[in-house]
Amino acid sequence: MNPRKPAENGYQSRIWRNTIRLACWGGAWVAATLLMGFGPKFLWNKALVFTLLAAGLDVAVGVGLILAHKKYIAELDELQRTVFLNALGITVGVALIAGIPISVLNQYDVIPFKSDISLLVILMSLTYVVCVAYGNWRYR
Amino acid sequence: MKNRLKVLRAERDWTQAQLADALDVSRQTINAIETGKFDPSLPLAFRAARLFGMRIEEIFHDQDPAPL
Repeated sequence: MNPRKPAENGYQSRIWRNTIRLACWGGAWVAATLLMGFGPKFLWNKALVFTLLAAGLDVAVGVGLILAHKKYIAELDELQRTVFLNALGITVGVALIAGIPISVLNQYDVIPFKSDISLLVILMSLTYVVCVAYGNWRYR
Repeated sequence: MKNRLKVLRAERDWTQAQLADALDVSRQTINAIETGKFDPSLPLAFRAARLFGMRIEEIFHDQDPAPL
């Protein structure tokens, strides 16, 4: 093995390809979700068939995104995988710990705003990004 | 766990990136192992040992003294 000659299918190029693939699936999922969210009102006047098709497309693309993310994490090296799995673990924990009280407080009109799923998605996204950034900083 | 990765790499005049390529990991992982922030798995330790033509215990060793 010659360390001076980088492998053509080396770690960095493989992760770069997987990152592009993950970004494409992420973009496709956002587009499918937007289509499902705004299509009934702006594109097909709430026609049930199209709404169901859009929901099916969103789920199908979502499954693709999950598989792409799974492949991305599986092909990370062991340090990166540790960082991502820690971030995922904390994100799931935060979603449960924060999501249930917010839901209960909302039910009894304790909090002054209406909580919906988007609030939880934003919280999970921010937690995930912060945890990945912290993990990378910690092992920099 | 302590290791001699940095010394062995320097003896061969390899960069962290070159060693990372050879071991199929990120440069960040090599740096974290060299600085003792991260302990490699057994398969990665075997790959490093094979690359340097040494035994694992010649590269990686426990910080705690062996029990009597």
